[in-house]
Amino acid sequence: MNVEIRKENAKTFVKLTGRLDTTNADQFQKDIAPLMEEAKPDYEIDCTDMEYTSSQGLRLFLMLQKSVSSKGGSMVMTNMRPQVKEVFDITGFSNIIRIL
Amino acid sequence: MTDGLEKYGLDLHCTMILEEYRGNLAVFGKMMEVAREVLNRNISANGIYLNAIESRVKTEKSLAGKLELKGSKYSFLEDITDIVGLRVITFYSDEVDKISAMVDRLFEIDWANSVDKRKMHELDSFGYNSLHYVCRIPKSLYYDPEHPEINSYRLEIQMRTALQHVWATMYHDTGYKSGVEVPREYLRNLNRLAGMMELADEQFSLIRTNINDYRRGVQKLVASGRFDDVPLNGDSFKSYLELKPFDKLVKRIAAINQAEIYEASYLPYLNVFSHFKFKTLGDLDRFIKENSEDAYNLAVYQIGNTDLDIVSSTVAVQNLCVVSILKMKGGAGGLKRMFDILGGSPEYNGKRAERLVETARQLPFMNE
Repeated sequence: MNVEIRKENAKTFVKLTGRLDTTNADQFQKDIAPLMEEAKPDYEIDCTDMEYTSSQGLRLFLMLQKSVSSKGGSMVMTNMRPQVKEVFDITGFSNIIRIL
Repeated sequence: MTDGLEKYGLDLHCTMILEEYRGNLAVFGKMMEVAREVLNRNISANGIYLNAIESRVKTEKSLAGKLELKGSKYSFLEDITDIVGLRVITFYSDEVDKISAMVDRLFEIDWANSVDKRKMHELDSFGYNSLHYVCRIPKSLYYDPEHPEINSYRLEIQMRTALQHVWATMYHDTGYKSGVEVPREYLRNLNRLAGMMELADEQFSLIRTNINDYRRGVQKLVASGRFDDVPLNGDSFKSYLELKPFDKLVKRIAAINQAEIYEASYLPYLNVFSHFKFKTLGDLDRFIKENSEDAYNLAVYQIGNTDLDIVSSTVAVQNLCVVSILKMKGGAGGLKRMFDILGGSPEYNGKRAERLVETARQLPFMNE
């Protein structure tokens, strides 16, 4: 899983590429650690090239969402591939995380 | 020491009072800080939601103005009781009484100088309504041996409702303190408004009491299981959720993969139930009973062959809604409407709905 973080004015764009599973979840957690530090988070996470997420990935997205919500920030995941979105849908996570 | 005080043109007696005030500004600042912190802490601990709490130390200019008007009334600085002032502004009139009881408990009240303006009006008069307590900070609350004056100077705490505050601010704007006489007709109009504000305050309290009575009534009906007698709305839904009506299904679904359950809010689904035209909790209760087995089977089909080991608690209500729409022959259009109500991109919701119809085709309830 490759994570690119780019800041434009007050908004942060995150681009995810590849598979997110148990083999790289720890690294992913380290990669997104700076996002947990933001005082006023406003994140757009581009999932165009994210091929898969496991439960571990869901937990990390949930952790990020909770951090954003606790600071009154905003987070949206965009351009999910159908098979990735399916994971969010069947676990009920589409109700928790904003997906466009 | 009287540097700059001569500009106020006061006599020697008043100038000395003003000089003493200057020397004790830090003490007054501390008194204000202590009183405000104590009030904030206790009001919050009692679950009272305030409109505002204001505090100030009277400015030198304002004190000079007061001394110019009625300086002879005061022998010493400590005779002036409002150098430190706090104002607690509540939403409801009965909360003024709660705050006053709290102030009585926390501070030493100088009853001789405290007034309840609410009780000072004649039967046929209306006007300024506020409760003013003049008090001292008791040593039990705060004591600094270097500044024992903190416990001897008095401060004033005003308590009033937001509407009383609006009226008082407007009244203040008429310049009543300046001694300039305002035409009688304007004052009469202002006093008529005071009567209206008093009525409005009473109505607000009454409405709140009625709402609380209604909520308690709903809670009793829900607890007794008389769901058909309870209209479905935000309050009754919250009471119903306390019975954990979705828990059994959530746990069954989680057990499919021994999954962790992440607790999420069910409230967004209230709009879906409203779209389903559910009128009472009875409608909702029957909906759960009639669709639980099929909602479970849908979950088995969807996550049974994955290794997903975390689910949101809303997965149960989501599946209940899906199977209900499909059983009612709502098809992809019905599902899309539901997803649109819950949010997300309409374009994706359409695709998701179509995919779900395809998935569900394999399930027994679609062929009944």
